[in-house]
Amino acid sequence: MSSNRYTYGVIEQAPLDLDVTGVDGAPIETVDYRSLSAVVSEIGTMEPERTDENAAAHDEVLRAVLQSDGGRTVVPMRFGMVFKTENALKNILRNGRVAFRRSLNDLDGMVELGVKLVTKDEATVDRPAVVEDVATRLRAVADTEAGNDLYSDRLVFNRSYLVERDDQTAFDDAVAAIEAEYDEDLHVQYNGPWAPYNFVDIEIGAEGR
Amino acid sequence: MFVIDDLLINPFVSIMEAVHSMAISELYDTAAIKNEIKENRLLYELGERSEAEYERRNEELETQLEIAREAHEQTRGKVEVMR
Repeated sequence: MSSNRYTYGVIEQAPLDLDVTGVDGAPIETVDYRSLSAVVSEIGTMEPERTDENAAAHDEVLRAVLQSDGGRTVVPMRFGMVFKTENALKNILRNGRVAFRRSLNDLDGMVELGVKLVTKDEATVDRPAVVEDVATRLRAVADTEAGNDLYSDRLVFNRSYLVERDDQTAFDDAVAAIEAEYDEDLHVQYNGPWAPYNFVDIEIGAEGR
Repeated sequence: MFVIDDLLINPFVSIMEAVHSMAISELYDTAAIKNEIKENRLLYELGERSEAEYERRNEELETQLEIAREAHEQTRGKVEVMR
């Protein structure tokens, strides 16, 4: 048995009862410090491999947390955060409690949604015009946006949006309208809701682990 | 891209024998390979690539990435030795 704790994210302290298992199929537990709970599972290594399967498990746990208890707020960790012991993790919660609390407040009631536009085979579009049009329409129904890397020549648009849960239907409608309008030339990949990865910035140094 | 092909065919060839260190950062551009991995996944998710094709390409790219990382490790090692 290992005492390493793979950490998915931080929530308001509460008991968690999820239907999913974590990275390597391990059961999900919490580590509590005052008003915070870290969502964790046991893991045999300090450096989990970022396979498709492991990355999906990480996302699935966060998604389940997000949807539990009628919609919970979570400050997500990037893939691969492992702490040697429960105490090392509690130290992080103690030292970072102000930052965690602030993020939980800022993100309260929000989810992240992702929109990518990809050119269909051979299609050419007026990229700046498309980007401006789509960005304007989505900004109108979102709280905040974050640009992501255009890692492929086929990618025209790749942004993440922080959206109030109550506004998600309006956002869905906006995306559907864009998809219908550009259907001839562009694929629209719409995904989420995700934990708000792109809207928190809490750094945990390796020495803390 | 003869060098990469050569290394894929014969992984026992010493990487330092095969490439000039100045070319390493360009040839073994880990960022570019990572982008290709992401593009491959994207096209698979959009239904433009079959699962078999996605997996074959992914494996190929992961191997390239590993070789690229190794190449960078080796140049780092070499620089230290020369000091």
